[in-house]
Amino acid sequence: MKRPALNRVVGLLILLVFSFSCASDLDYDQANDLKLEPIFVANLVYFDVPANEFVTNGVEQSVIFDTPTVDVFNDDFFRDNLKKVEFFFEMENTINRAYSVDLVFLDNNNQRVHATNFSVPAYTGAENKVTKTEIFENAQLDLLKRTTKIVFTLTMLPGATLNENSSGRLKLRSGVTAYLVVE
Amino acid sequence: MRKIILIFVLFLAIDCFSQNKQILYNFTSVPQSLMTNPGADFKYNWYAGVPLLSGISANVGSSGFSAYDLFADNGVDFNVKLRNAVFSSTRKDKVAINEQIEIFNGGFKIAGEQSDSYISFGMYQEFDMLSYVPKDIAILALDGNRNYLGKVFNLGDLSAKAEMLSVFHLGFHKNITEKFILGVRGKIYSSIYNANSTNNSGYIYTISSDTGVYEQMIYSQLQLNTSGIAQYDDQDYEPNVAKDITKRALLGGNLGLGFDAGFTYYPKKNIQVTASIIDVGFIKHSKEVESLTFKGTYKYEGVIPNFSSGNSAGGGYQEFKEAIPLDTLYADYTTWRPAKFNTSVQYSFDEERPEDCNCLNYDPETTYKSAVGAQLFVMSTPRTPLVAFTTYYRRKIFKALQMKATYTLDSYSYKNIGLGLSSHFGPVNFYVLADNLLEYSDVTKANSLSFQLGLNVIFKNTKK
Repeated sequence: MKRPALNRVVGLLILLVFSFSCASDLDYDQANDLKLEPIFVANLVYFDVPANEFVTNGVEQSVIFDTPTVDVFNDDFFRDNLKKVEFFFEMENTINRAYSVDLVFLDNNNQRVHATNFSVPAYTGAENKVTKTEIFENAQLDLLKRTTKIVFTLTMLPGATLNENSSGRLKLRSGVTAYLVVE
Repeated sequence: MRKIILIFVLFLAIDCFSQNKQILYNFTSVPQSLMTNPGADFKYNWYAGVPLLSGISANVGSSGFSAYDLFADNGVDFNVKLRNAVFSSTRKDKVAINEQIEIFNGGFKIAGEQSDSYISFGMYQEFDMLSYVPKDIAILALDGNRNYLGKVFNLGDLSAKAEMLSVFHLGFHKNITEKFILGVRGKIYSSIYNANSTNNSGYIYTISSDTGVYEQMIYSQLQLNTSGIAQYDDQDYEPNVAKDITKRALLGGNLGLGFDAGFTYYPKKNIQVTASIIDVGFIKHSKEVESLTFKGTYKYEGVIPNFSSGNSAGGGYQEFKEAIPLDTLYADYTTWRPAKFNTSVQYSFDEERPEDCNCLNYDPETTYKSAVGAQLFVMSTPRTPLVAFTTYYRRKIFKALQMKATYTLDSYSYKNIGLGLSSHFGPVNFYVLADNLLEYSDVTKANSLSFQLGLNVIFKNTKK
């Protein structure tokens, strides 16, 4: 007599658990909508040239230059997901001469993809900074991504003669803000 | 049918978590309680689990967020839900899955002059996964570093491991005295595959600088160890996964050794103390091992022309790859099994009248109908150990039906109510145990759930 009663109790309990349990609708396909939009900042270029680098053996060098390679755009992930770039430049001059500073971005075939110029006045004792912001999107950005090297040319404009003991420095700080969209 | 499978998968996916089998522990009406304490007070002539059906258990937990938080079909953008989940969790939050299926299991008694000894043996398959929420890395991926100047992103947040293995075990327990039962169990582990990345450290930070615009530093000590996976990377290899798994499950994998030990002690007739330590053991990985490392330090300064020498620095990406190279190693490594410690104190009351015992051959030793008790569970993890505290009420409802109700406090939940039922119809024992019952009103919102069920055949003496 007892067993049917028992079966009923166990059956009821199991039924109870399952009838009260329920689940909201879940949609795992949503994971396909994943879209990351991180914004990274980093240094772009930097130099800090003392006045005496414009003087060799007592003779002024009015033009100095260098062409470092730039390989950040070699990475596929970065190239594919970069949607917008902001460059920030700050030139500071504490040398008693004016300068024209050129940055020319070249691609693998030495074709110019972007160029920027700063006219930096001579130092007269007051703070002497020149800043510039550049924004790249769409076609301009695609062009920029071809960059493999940057030609830096510092041209010293006429003025009071420098010697190896002249004071002051010509300094460039610059940062990049990279907007990525990963889908 | 599809729906049933879906529900089952959901169970598996949501339902299980930390390997805390608080309902099964010391629930000696079920033979599988021996697996949580080899010194459990479980007496039998012989028993055998129904192959593949004797012990099925699964455990899923996520302390930071639930499946509903991420995947609810509620019209909210997935990316918004993901952000909320990441920002509301901490680096201590974890997602864990544990699943065990007994392939076979059995035991028999060796009658002794003074006291009986019991042998139990079997094989089970286990899958284990544990991952902490890599919060800082997730923030970097979601937001980047622009709004976090000065924050030190901790690469040590990355901590995860996964393993599938089979376990062969042989246990022995004996009444040393009337009041004291001692048991031990030896185990051989055969790892089918293993991946772990738990000893990571390092950081990334960006702060404002006078030299450049930023000072930016990466220090990385990341390592991922794998075994049993490397060959699938090889394009020439034609995988036969089923055959590989079978071979490795039957002692053809990376082998390890371990033991369990436990006791049950009755200081008074109605007071019981138990303790056990489970899975003290290691696996030595030497077959098909492959480790990936990302180790080094790199300070990024940008492109720096050098006007005086012409030797300019500028290959930032190349420099980075040289400073923090991705290396592949093929060195042996050892993993420790997550060790589990259980202990309990129980007070029994409601003495059973002897005439109740006449008709059935069920559990003549039990002289109390009811018991209350408390249990403590501690499990080793890659970081701070996991601790759970349980109080329970155990009751013999009918002669053939035992019930154990539990209330558990742990890092996943403070309202975890569990219920276990074990029925004996003749020699046939069926049990079903489930916890977090309050969450069954909507299982998708549960942070953790676990269940165990199984079918055994048990023969006991009517007397003694």
